[in-house]
Amino acid sequence: MGIQEQYRSEAAALLSSGEVKLVIGFGPGSTADRRRPLFARTPEEAEKLVLDPACISNLTTYLVAGGLLSDGKKVAIFLKPDGIRSLNILVSECQVKPEQVVIFGYAIENNEIRPLSGRSIGDFAEIGSKIRTATPPPAVQKEAERLEAMSPAERFEFWKEQFSKCIKCYACRQACPMCYCRRCIVDVNQPQWVSTSSHTLGNFEWNLVRAFHLAGRCAACGACDRACPVNIPLRLINYRMGKEVKEAFDYHAGESSDQKPVLASFSQDDPETFIL
Amino acid sequence: MSESFEPKIVAFVCTYCTYAGADLAGTSRLKYAPNVRIVRLPCTGRISPMFILKALQKGADSVLVSGCHPGDCHFAAGNYHARRRWTVFRALLAFTGIPEERIRFSWVSAAEGAKFADLINEITEDTKKLGPFTQYQELQKVIETQSSY
Repeated sequence: MGIQEQYRSEAAALLSSGEVKLVIGFGPGSTADRRRPLFARTPEEAEKLVLDPACISNLTTYLVAGGLLSDGKKVAIFLKPDGIRSLNILVSECQVKPEQVVIFGYAIENNEIRPLSGRSIGDFAEIGSKIRTATPPPAVQKEAERLEAMSPAERFEFWKEQFSKCIKCYACRQACPMCYCRRCIVDVNQPQWVSTSSHTLGNFEWNLVRAFHLAGRCAACGACDRACPVNIPLRLINYRMGKEVKEAFDYHAGESSDQKPVLASFSQDDPETFIL
Repeated sequence: MSESFEPKIVAFVCTYCTYAGADLAGTSRLKYAPNVRIVRLPCTGRISPMFILKALQKGADSVLVSGCHPGDCHFAAGNYHARRRWTVFRALLAFTGIPEERIRFSWVSAAEGAKFADLINEITEDTKKLGPFTQYQELQKVIETQSSY
C-alpha cells in the first residue's frame, strides 16, 4: 500500500471515529501538475485526498485561519518538514495548541514521497533540530551574495525595480502562515503607517515592514514567493533576515516548539557594535 | 549647496534617560546644533521601526534613536528588546540599500548632557557631508507598472 492510500485510510478512520473534525490535505488542482488544498470533513471526502511530489504548498496557514481551532477540537493536516517548522513557530507563539493537531508528515526527495513517522508535533523534534545544519537553497544563497557584493545604491536600485512591480494584492500575507494578525499594520489607517497608494514608496514600506515582521519567524517555506503574481524575490529578503538572527543571536526559526520568539526575548550580552 | 544645507534630524528618545540628558544639556547651557527635532517616547522599547521609516519618508535627513544604557532601563528590559530589534532592522536596511549611516543608535544617560550635545553636533556635521536624503522620498514619484514584467 502506497503512502497516499495509507494516509487516506488513516484520515478516513480519524474522521469516522470523530477524533478529528477536519483533515487538511491536498486534492487535484486545475492542471495536472498542480495540487489544491482539500478540506475533508467526512470519510468519503477523505477518499479524494492526493499525496504526490506536486504537493508543495505549506498548509499550516489554514490552521490559523478564522478561529478554526477555537472550539478545542482536533484537526489533521498534511505537512512537509518546512510546514512542521512553521507549526513549531506557531506553537511557540501560542497560536496553536500542539495537542489539537494531528500531523501526516511527508518529505519529497528526488521526486519521491517518503512518509515521516509520528503523528504529533513532539514526534518531529529531529526535523526541527536539522535546521541547524541545513544549507539554504544554493540559488537563493548565490543571489543574496550577489546583492550583498553590490554598493548600497545598486542594491537600492535593484529593490526599487522589484518593489515597483508590487500591486499590493497582499497575496504574500494571505499565503504566509506567520501573517495571522487580526488587524495587519497595512490595514491600520489611523495613523496610516503604510501608504496604500500605488507608488513605489508605499510598496517599499509594505515589503520592508513585512520582512521585518517575519525576521526570525520565517521557516523559509517559500509560500510568499510562490504566491507573488509579479515574482518579487521575497525569498531573498526573508533568507537575509533569517541569516541575521542566526549570526547575531544563534537563533534558528522553527527549531522547536518551545523556543522563545527571537524578538520577544533578549540576552544581556547581545551584540551592540553599532550603538554609540 | 552644502553651505546652505541645514539637515533635519529626528531624534527618537526615551523619556527617562536621553530626554533627561538633553534636558541637562539645555540647563547646563551647552550649545549644540539646532537641527534636531526630539520626539519623546516612554521607552526605546516603544520605538517601532515604522517611526524611523516614516521620519525618512516625511523629510528627515538623519534619524537618531537613543535610550538608556543597558541595565538602566526604567522598565528593566525595554532597551534590551529594542537592541535586538535594531540589529535586525539595520540588516534589513542594509540589504535593501537604504544608507545605514543616516540612522544612528546611541545610549545616552540622564547624566550625559555633554555626550548628547556632542552627538547632535557630530550627526549634524556628518549629515551635512552626506547631503539631503531624497533617495527614499523620491520613490513617491515612481508609479508602479513602469517596469516590464
